[in-house]
Amino acid sequence: MKKLIYGSLAGGLIATAGALTASASSHREAPMIAEDQYVDNTDVYSFISPTDPSRLAIVADYVPLLLPTSGPNFYKFSDEAYYEIHIDNDGDAIPDITYRYVFDSQVKNGNTFLYNTGPVDAISSQSLNVTQTYDLWKIDEHTGHRTRLMQDAWVAPWNVGKRSFPNYESVALQAVRSAGTTQSFAGPRDEPFFVDLHVFDLLGVGGAHTTDGVNVMSIVLEVPISEIAAGGTRPTSATDKTSVVGIYASASRPQIRILRKNHASDDYGKMIQVSRLGWPLVNEVIIPLKDKDKYNRSEPRNDVANFGAYILDPEVPKLLNLVLNAGCKPTPVGGRTDIVGLLAPNGTAAADLLRINIAAGQTNAQSHFPNGRALADDVTDTLLTVACNNGSAIGDGVNANDKPFTTTFPYLASPASGNP
Amino acid sequence: MRTVYWMLMIGTLACHGRDDAKPAAAKAAKLKLDHASQRDLARELDDADRLGTWSDVRHRWQGQDLEWTVTRHRALCGAETACHVAAFPVMRPAQRGWLPELRFAPGEYAKLDAACGAAEPCEVVIAGTLAKLEVSGEMPTSVQLSNVVIKGAKRT
Repeated sequence: MKKLIYGSLAGGLIATAGALTASASSHREAPMIAEDQYVDNTDVYSFISPTDPSRLAIVADYVPLLLPTSGPNFYKFSDEAYYEIHIDNDGDAIPDITYRYVFDSQVKNGNTFLYNTGPVDAISSQSLNVTQTYDLWKIDEHTGHRTRLMQDAWVAPWNVGKRSFPNYESVALQAVRSAGTTQSFAGPRDEPFFVDLHVFDLLGVGGAHTTDGVNVMSIVLEVPISEIAAGGTRPTSATDKTSVVGIYASASRPQIRILRKNHASDDYGKMIQVSRLGWPLVNEVIIPLKDKDKYNRSEPRNDVANFGAYILDPEVPKLLNLVLNAGCKPTPVGGRTDIVGLLAPNGTAAADLLRINIAAGQTNAQSHFPNGRALADDVTDTLLTVACNNGSAIGDGVNANDKPFTTTFPYLASPASGNP
Repeated sequence: MRTVYWMLMIGTLACHGRDDAKPAAAKAAKLKLDHASQRDLARELDDADRLGTWSDVRHRWQGQDLEWTVTRHRALCGAETACHVAAFPVMRPAQRGWLPELRFAPGEYAKLDAACGAAEPCEVVIAGTLAKLEVSGEMPTSVQLSNVVIKGAKRT
């Protein structure tokens, strides 16, 4: 088991190691994160609850494109990372509240290679040999005050197959946890993002459902809107800057890892953000290769200063014209300030944040991209149409997920089974 | 003992490879750059990307008084305290992501607003000090000019 060390010995090291440099949704969108799959943030969704309009649901997906038959070491979250959901509630693109998930794995019997040693009928079953739990923290970014909302909450197990899990979903849903007004789920789910990934073969889209049948690791959080609104009160005006919250998810790892001979490794140092995502597809298709890793390290508040020119003059419409003769409009002399505007609703600071209006009266029916993002939203078509900007709708030919979503928490479909 | 040795080694290497920000303006008089356009800066940043000379670029450029022609887009420069401009014209597609942030001398934002009005985009000649240049191999480039004055504007 790897260790995350914050002791006094590490303290001195942190001070010097802080200067170490490393030269060097989004599914596998940047060179460095493609080598660190467990902390690759793939998508963020947010919508007002379909059953209770006073609550906001947020889904943050990690670990892309998972084959259900991936044993014997099935996918999980990293024990050495912070998985975080950040919320800006006053429009300055700086997080005011952060929810942090910290995971821990357990093995009951290290003398077998099996994930489970018999059929599993409950998440607490002794037959479930490999398990994972998490603590959920809420952090007030103004004061730094941290509150542990949940401790040792179960992560849903992998859907190994029908012999191991005769009734998988009933076991998985035992991982739904409530504490006070907060509801949370973490575990494998069916990949909700639908797209024809042949797009990366010189835009060779043709309606191929390339993400069907694969899974993803999901974090689902639902909280009362009043708990994340500025001042703790749901805004009444839908046009005020504070009526929209901006959301992004991230993953961070300790800065230093030392591989050991007598155990796996030790991790030291401050946490470094290695992945982040607000809007879909920004780092994938707006940011060029040379800056993708830097994008993952940076903060949304600096997006205009750091990457604004890429948004003003994106590459996508040129490619669509070059390869598909799509008839996209050339970038106007003034640049694509319309896209900048979409990233800055209600006068908020432009940034790659998934923004959603939380004012009183807003309902689930209004939670559609770019006002939040519902699971069923075809964001690929929306963004291609915006990028092409010729008045016609264009798309990749894939318009829905292979499995239906639910209207009850955690909303995502059951993951594909390793042995259906 | 071995662990302590490696920690000291890492610390030494860390200090040796240090590339963090120095105070904004150099105390000693800066040697004025012969070639100080945004294209010159971009060229040096491209070199730094290959050679790792980020620190040299920052030390040479930070604190320089510059006169650049930039483009104002209203959506990116909507307030005196929140103004970024394009250092390069739309290049189809953009080759660099950074947009300089402007911190104005008193009265100069109003001058910019009056000169450009609703024109979109608006080409502006500015003079100012390159107060902050964040460049490194791990974080994106960020450029801030302070004490900016407007020398001229051309509505396009």
